[in-house]
Order: sequence, then structure tokens, then C-alpha cells
Amino acid sequence: MSRRLAINLLTGLALACIYAASYNALLQQRHDAPPSGRSSSGIWNLPPVALLAIAGEFKGLMADYLTLEAGAQLGTELVRKPEGGFLVVKKQYDWSSIHRLLVAGQTLDPSFAQTYIVAQGWLPWEPANMVAETQEFLKISAESRPWDWQPSHFMGFNAYYFLKKSGEAGKLFLEAAKRPNAPLFLSILGARLAQKGGETGAAIVLMKSMLIDKPESDPGYADIVDRLHALEGVQVIEQAVLHYEKTYGRKPSSLEELTSSGILASLPANPYNVPYCMDSAGTIYFDNPNCHSENR
Amino acid sequence: MQALRNIWFLALATCTEGVRHRALWAIVCLAVLLTMANLGVTTLYSWDLGKVSVEFGLSAVAFTGLLLVFFLGMKILADDLERSRIFMLLSRPVSIWQYLTGKFLGLAMILLLATIILGISAALSMQYVLWQYPVYVPPDFSWLTYLMALVCQYMSLVVVLAVSVLCFSFASQPFVALLLAVSSYLVGQNMELLRRVVVENPYAGALTGQKNLVIALSWLFPNLSLFDKKYVAAYGMAFSSQEFLLLCLYGVSYSVLLIFLATLLFKRKELA
Repeated sequence: MSRRLAINLLTGLALACIYAASYNALLQQRHDAPPSGRSSSGIWNLPPVALLAIAGEFKGLMADYLTLEAGAQLGTELVRKPEGGFLVVKKQYDWSSIHRLLVAGQTLDPSFAQTYIVAQGWLPWEPANMVAETQEFLKISAESRPWDWQPSHFMGFNAYYFLKKSGEAGKLFLEAAKRPNAPLFLSILGARLAQKGGETGAAIVLMKSMLIDKPESDPGYADIVDRLHALEGVQVIEQAVLHYEKTYGRKPSSLEELTSSGILASLPANPYNVPYCMDSAGTIYFDNPNCHSENR
Repeated sequence: MQALRNIWFLALATCTEGVRHRALWAIVCLAVLLTMANLGVTTLYSWDLGKVSVEFGLSAVAFTGLLLVFFLGMKILADDLERSRIFMLLSRPVSIWQYLTGKFLGLAMILLLATIILGISAALSMQYVLWQYPVYVPPDFSWLTYLMALVCQYMSLVVVLAVSVLCFSFASQPFVALLLAVSSYLVGQNMELLRRVVVENPYAGALTGQKNLVIALSWLFPNLSLFDKKYVAAYGMAFSSQEFLLLCLYGVSYSVLLIFLATLLFKRKELA
């Protein structure tokens, strides 16, 4: 009896040792593997149709999981120091894989806010530099979340900050401003950038469409009307400059030439009570009366 | 009248048997666990907490319901054959259609009970999350839409149950019936996707040009993705009462048709 017990014990012990050794080796190998190995393999690498088919009726839940996974991969990694305490490890990110992971999450649930916020927080910035991909990502979010102004706002920010496209940024800010509960500054900023980028006509149309649904009692209504009138003034001047250029073969050296040549009877009124200004490149300003001296 | 009485008796007996399997206790435990998990999981996110909570709650209902259909439901049906109880029933003035209808309704009652318990527990956890984080409540969230989504989820489970009864009626072994039912569920979940891929995409791989075949299949298999309204409830999107009623009608009519077919097939089945 005792011999059998001893054999059983020894067998159990041997099996436990083999298990512990193999599992430990596996963990060690996993630890030594390059960090990108973890993110480059996963269900999110499947084509969208396959992903949708696998998720079945649990698409939303899987999207939640994938977003968490993305957050975990992007998060800080801490390693325990032998002397105690933790050390922050500078991780090497596989950005294309993280992008695929986020895209997979968005495929499963295009309306999930967390996905686009994580994407905006990481992808367009150094070292990922995936501005175009982020814009595409945000575009889908903006279409899927008609109640949310943030995706268009982020797109506008990216267009201005990373792509240096003021006109496009302005249009995107104005798109964002049309969404419910959008802050007032978006319409003002959008109009400003759109006009600066040579998109005055588009800015006027978007601001007019914003006023349609806004009650006059709204606190921001008067500000938007002022900005709209200023833009309309800019547009009148821009058209007059074009007319002048066609007639005289050159740009006017000052706005006064438009009135002295008879193209404009008078310059339009500026609701901000400062004179309009034209810089050497021909850009018209409604809020910068000293534009010539600044650009010299 | 006697037929209805027989069906009612069988349904009630099946439901009681299901409860005796301690399934209901397992469901109550699961409901408590999922409610707690819902509260925990939701806090892992920083945005759209309301959506995560609603989606998690409804997914829990769907998952538990599927477990009940595939394991408890199939076991109850198979037990009748394996323990030869079916002969005792069929030797009485109970016809095969009454037997299958009674069994189906009894299992549907268990599902209803489970959906109610899980639906309430999910709603409680959701209410807590929505109250705790009011900023993240979807703008048009409505409890009515949640209720409608829950009913749709139940209808989807009833359709899967009808498919399981059909598979049971002709499969030689309960395990084969289970495999067929699970496969039908997977096909049903992706039928709409497959139909869209083939109909809208000229390059659909091996299925290119098989539009008619896929359309025919989409009429044969249940289109379960239509019942999936978790997304709609989670984001507070519009869900018309007309669509809701049509879905219920589709679910009921499809299930009745399957039970009718199951009766025809069961008559030919070798019971001994």
C-alpha cells in the first residue's frame, strides 16, 4: 500500500515538474519575444467580412474587447525591478497592427466612441504618423454618430495641425458645429479657417445652414450672424478683386482702388467695426486691419 | 379542446422539468454574476459607458438563452427518447404534433422565464451605470427600445429553439441534432451578411454568380441577424413599432412552420 502511494506520489511529482518546467519555459519565451509579436497576430487581422461573420450577434461585445485590447497594447508597460519597485519600459509599437486592431473594432461597431478617441489620441501623432488613416477612421465615426460633434472636430484639428490645410479644417469645423450640442467656438473658428484657406463661399453656405435650425434666442446666434456678415463682406471684396484683376491685369494694391476704380461703390460694412484688409498675397481679412504690415 | 389541454399539460410539465434541472437556479446565479460583471466591465471604458452596459446586458441574455436552447432544451428532448418516456406519452391520447408543440411551448416558457430574469437584472445594472455616469447616456436612449430589443432577442431564441426541435425530429442521435442546430444558428446569424456579399458584390469568390442559390438559402434558413437589436438599443436609435411587429410576426410564423415540419418528420422517425 505504502509502495503504491509512494509510486503515485512520485508520478504526480514528476508530472507536476514537467508541467511547471514547460509552462515556465513558455512564459519565458513569451517574455523574450519582440513586443510586436503580440499585436501582429489576432482575430483583428481577418478581413472585415470574416470578422463580422465570426462575431455573429456579439459584434458590439467583440468591438468592446478589441478596443480594450488596443488600449492595453498602447498602455504603459511596467517591469518589476530586482531591487523592488517598477520600471517603465519604452515599448516598441507595431502601429500598422494597432491600426488594424482599431479598424477591426470600428468594423464591428462603427459608432463606438472609445475606438475613435483612442485612434485620435495615438495614430496621427509621432511616432505613428498615420494622419491619413486617422482621417479615414474619423470620417466613418462622424457618419455613424450624427449626434456627436467630436469626430468632425478632430478631423478639422488634424487637417489644420498636421496637414496644414486651413480651408479643409474650416469646413470640417463648420461641419462639426452643425451637430447637436456643438460648442459655439467651432462655428467661429471654422469660418475663420475656411475663409483663410480660400473657402469663403463654402464657409458662408455652412454658416447659413447652421442658422436655419438655431433659434434667434440662442446665446450664440448673434455671434454667428456677425461672422456670417463679415464673411459675406469678404466674399464681395474677393469678387471685386477678381473683377479688378480681369480689367486691369493686376491685383489692386489696396482696397481703396476698388472703390476709386468704380468696381465697388463702397466697401461693405464690417460687423466687427474694423476696416477690411488685404495682404500682399491678396487674402482678405475682416479681423486683422494691420495685415499688410504683418506680412511684410 | 382536449388537444389544447394536452399541449398545455405537456408545456407545463416540460417547464417544470426544466426548472427541476436546476437550470433556473443556474440562471439566477448567472444573472447575479453578469450584473456584477456588467458593473465591473463598464468601468474599464472611458467613453460610451451606457452603450457598453446595454450591449453587455443584452449579450448576456442572448448567450444564456443559447446555452439553454442547445444544452437544456436538447437534453430535455433527448431524455424523453433515452428514458422511453415518449412511449408512455404517445400511448395516451396525445398525438405527435401535440407532443412536439407542448415540448416546444414548455421550452419557450423556460426561455421566457430566463429572459425575464436576465432582462431585469441587466436593466438594473444598466440603470445603475446610467445613473452613475449620466454624461455617457446615449442621447436618445429609451427603456422602451431596450424592452423591444429584449423581446426581439427572445424571438430570436424561440426561432433557434424551433430549429433545434426540427433537427431533433429527424436526426438519428441527439448529438447530431445539436450539431445541426448549432450550424443552423451560425448560418442564420450570417445569412444577411452572405446575402449582401453575394448580391451586392460581383467578386464573391466561390459564390460569384450564385445569387439565386444564396437568395433561396436566405429564405430557407432563419435570418437571425434581423432580430439583433442590441446596437439599436445601445445607441438609442430609432426602432419603429412596425418593424418590431413584423419581426415578431416573422419569428412566430417561421417557428410555427418549423414545428409543423418537425411533426411530419417525427412521424417517420424510428423511435425504438
